[in-house]
This record gives sequence, structure tokens and C-alpha cells, in this order.
Amino acid sequence: MAEVHVIGQIIGASGFSESSLFCKWGIHTGAAWKLLSGVREGQTQVDTPQIGDMAYWSHPIDLHFATKGLQGWPRLHFQVWSQDSFGRCQLAGYGFCHVPSSPGTHQLACPTWRPLGSWREQLARAFVGGGPQLLHGDTIYSGADRYRLHTAAGGTVHLEIGLLLRNFDRYGVEC
Amino acid sequence: MATASPSVFLLMVNGQVESAQFPEYDDLYCKYCFVYGQDWAPTAGLEEGISQITSKSQDVRQALVWNFPIDVTFKSTNPYGWPQIVLSVYGPDVFGNDVVRGYGAVHVPFSPGRHKRTIPMFVPESTSKLQKFTSWFMGRRPEYTDPKVVAQGEGREVTRVRSQGFVTLLFNVVTKDMRKLGYDTGPSDTQGVLGPSPPQSFPQ
Repeated sequence: MAEVHVIGQIIGASGFSESSLFCKWGIHTGAAWKLLSGVREGQTQVDTPQIGDMAYWSHPIDLHFATKGLQGWPRLHFQVWSQDSFGRCQLAGYGFCHVPSSPGTHQLACPTWRPLGSWREQLARAFVGGGPQLLHGDTIYSGADRYRLHTAAGGTVHLEIGLLLRNFDRYGVEC
Repeated sequence: MATASPSVFLLMVNGQVESAQFPEYDDLYCKYCFVYGQDWAPTAGLEEGISQITSKSQDVRQALVWNFPIDVTFKSTNPYGWPQIVLSVYGPDVFGNDVVRGYGAVHVPFSPGRHKRTIPMFVPESTSKLQKFTSWFMGRRPEYTDPKVVAQGEGREVTRVRSQGFVTLLFNVVTKDMRKLGYDTGPSDTQGVLGPSPPQSFPQ
């Protein structure tokens, strides 16, 4: 079987209006992919930046996959949350990005969005916080059922991902 | 010497902890160590070090230069657990106590060549206002008992941090026998200035 190593960091996020951000992340793969070692999902620290408006998480990712097919190439998905001074959390954005397919180091910038909801919900969010969230997390990385949503832009999640491929050329796969 | 079918690959890392940018703090020193997986073992060089104390330059750059050398070689059979360098920066507070000014970590670059990385530095924070004040007053701020936790992904959801500076690192990476073992690390990018760049508002 061909092997893929995904090694890198979720560096942080920029462009969000909220401060004190954290991120819940996960990686989704097709059925042909098997995780040999590493953790598939996690949650970062809460960062309150003192300089600039970028929150830094420096969250390491180290995953080792074995695969029998190319279908269902890994995709990373994120939920960015903001935490206020009382410890209450509010959704700031959802986003996903594919793990690059060429070996080497990649700088990724993943744009995010959040559900808008009705005008009542928007008004309530502006004054008391909260706001609508997705019931099913798989909507973040799958295209199905997206047409039902009305969304607004969030900030950007920044990643640095290194990709190491093993034995792909043995099967004639060009990455 | 070169065997037909190697089972181990080597990773040689040299470079330096070049400099830091901490707008609010001065007289800082830095410690580094490497964190790596079970299949990895250092074969030569030092895996940890502690630098001199540096003060800000008396010019517009306000640079904190350490120019502290790194030179280590690892061997492994599996890229999982690829080495990360963990940095912690310390300096005196207003009462003269030595307190931590930042933790940070980054993976050693994969591809052979010269790489420059700027890594964000953060400190853990107490959650309550009272604890914040007493820790400031007593000069005992929250610290990690083991700085190596910043290289781990698990158990971070409970920590609150404050990022307040950057450290610039320079790496020269050489690998041996990775291609023979079937690994493709991609094109070797040299001189690549990767990693987050400090925000524009920040004095360079």
C-alpha cells in the first residue's frame, strides 16, 4: 500500500472580528484510507494576541495514512470559536481544505464562513451572542445540502502542511 | 559503506536561533530542545541548549539577537514523529524574577536545503482575574512544568494563552536514504522564507 505522511501545524487565524479564538479540527478521509498512527481530531488552545490581530495556535499535526486508492483524499475541517471573558463560546467560522496532493511543504490559507440564519437570529447574535450552528458537522466538508444555507464570511485559518509520500511511483501514480 | 537496501534514514539539522521580536520585553534568553517520536533517535550533536542573555539593539530595529547554534543529527525508520524544535524564552519581570516570556514549536523542515522560519511565541494565562493579579504580584506566573507539551496536540483545549512575540530560526537540512526507502519529500526549496510573517503593524 502507498503511504502518506501529513506533518505540520495549524498556525493560527486572521481576519476574525472576535479576539480569543480557538479551533476544533479534524481530518476526513475516504474508506480506502487507513490511519496507522496519529490523532485524527483535536482542539487548539485559546489565544489572545497582544500584537497584531492574528491568533496563533501553533497546533502540531502528525498523521500517517496507508491507502489502497486515491478516492477520498484527506480533507481537513475546522470550526473556529471565540471565547469571551466569562468563558462563553460563540461560533466564528467553519471551513475545510484538502490536504495538498504534491509532496513538499505547503502554506495553506483556508477561508471560513458561518451560517447567517433569519433576521431575528442575526439581531439576537449582534446583541446577546450565540447564533445558529450546524447540526451535522459533515456539512463543513461535503457539498451536499449546502444549498439550504445562507452564510456570511469569516476570517482565514492558516496552516503549514508538509506532505511525504511513499511508494506512489511504484503504482504509477504521479503526484 | 552504502548498503543496497537501507532500513534507516538520517536527518541532519544545523542552523541557529537567530533573533527574536518581543516589543514589550528586554534582556531575554532562550532554551531549545527537540521533541520526536518513538522511532527516532539522535545520533550526533546536542538536542538541547541554553543561550546567552541578550538586550535590545539601540537602533530602530529593536532586535534581540542570539545567533545561537543548533547542530544535531537524527536517525529513524518512520517519518511519524518527525522532530520538532521547542523554544522557551525567559526574562526578568519588574521585580527581577525570571519569568517565561514565550513558548513556541515548529517541525524541522522536511526537504533538504536552507529554511528560515518565524515562529509565534505564547505564554499560558490564568483564567481568573484574581489569579492573574496574585501571580503578577508574587512574580509566579503560570508556566508549563514541561515545555514539551507545546509540541503535543492532545490536551490543549483547556489552555488559554497570550501570544506576544516571534523568534526567527534558520535551518539547513540534509537527509540521507529517504528516497531509497521510497519516500518522496517533494522538490527541495532553498532560501524559502516560510512560516507566518509578523503582522504589518509590527516594527520590523
